[in-house]
Amino acid sequence: MAPATELQRAPLIPIQPAVTTDSALIAASISGAEPAFRELFRRHTPHLLQFVTRVLGASRADAEDVVQDTWLRAYPALVTFRSESSFSTWLCSVGLRAALDSMRRGKRHDTDTLFDEDSWTNPPSTEDRVDIETAIRRLAPGYRMVLVLHDVEGFTHEEIALQLGIAPGTSKAQLFKARRVMRALLTGREKNDA
Amino acid sequence: MHNDQEFELTAEERTALAALPREMDTGDLLEERVVRALRDKGTLQDSRSRGNNTLSIAWKIAAAVTLFAGGVATGRYAMANDATGSSINAPATRDRDVGVTPRTDTRPVNQRETVVAEREMWL
Repeated sequence: MAPATELQRAPLIPIQPAVTTDSALIAASISGAEPAFRELFRRHTPHLLQFVTRVLGASRADAEDVVQDTWLRAYPALVTFRSESSFSTWLCSVGLRAALDSMRRGKRHDTDTLFDEDSWTNPPSTEDRVDIETAIRRLAPGYRMVLVLHDVEGFTHEEIALQLGIAPGTSKAQLFKARRVMRALLTGREKNDA
Repeated sequence: MHNDQEFELTAEERTALAALPREMDTGDLLEERVVRALRDKGTLQDSRSRGNNTLSIAWKIAAAVTLFAGGVATGRYAMANDATGSSINAPATRDRDVGVTPRTDTRPVNQRETVVAEREMWL
């Protein structure tokens, strides 16, 4: 038998805390458990905040308002979440609707003409070369939304059309123009057609 | 009609888009703000008050059980006293057999038997 001193020197196996699944956190949150909700919030809000900030092209304060509105909408709707998509994707779709409503309320943009072909009447200056984040922020709202959803978040045109209430062809056209303007902003070349 | 093939991203653009941060630090303030808003709407329970409520409910249940047990004990004690004295459980004929008449009841024996039988029926 090994001496007691050797036993004491044996390496301890670290006990990892059990990883709680989103489904378990959602179920606990629905029953009103605040710690579970906080964990769900901490897990998914960093991505939601980044997504909303990018889609809105707005300040952090405006984005935080939309994030709060998103959670206020998402919480009562947690019972309807069916795990067909990831919770993060579902939450971002709620966030996108909250962002569109925020635009409508704030009259920052007329969402009825957001995706019109000629909605961009005041194109940004492309005299200076900018980084890609700035280029996205300078895009017209309709262009920016489609480009972020497609090229950053990886949504398909059909999914974008469903989320934004537009035709898939409109989504493709918006993406085409958005990419062209973004390239002009990135390279510092004057845009000729916007 | 445009499509993706008409304006493909360059490799450099793809790399730049892929390198964009996907998360943003939220900070504690936003979390507290959202939690407070949900509490105000009554959809989320404060974890501290939730603990207090649990304790309060436990105390209420304990008090109710104690009261019930006290009531049962009092009832049994009263019934036991009645059984040893001239209670309604004692057969009416027994009084007559041993020649003991209740001190307060001056009614005729037949009437007393009717009353006792009626009470026993209800018990």
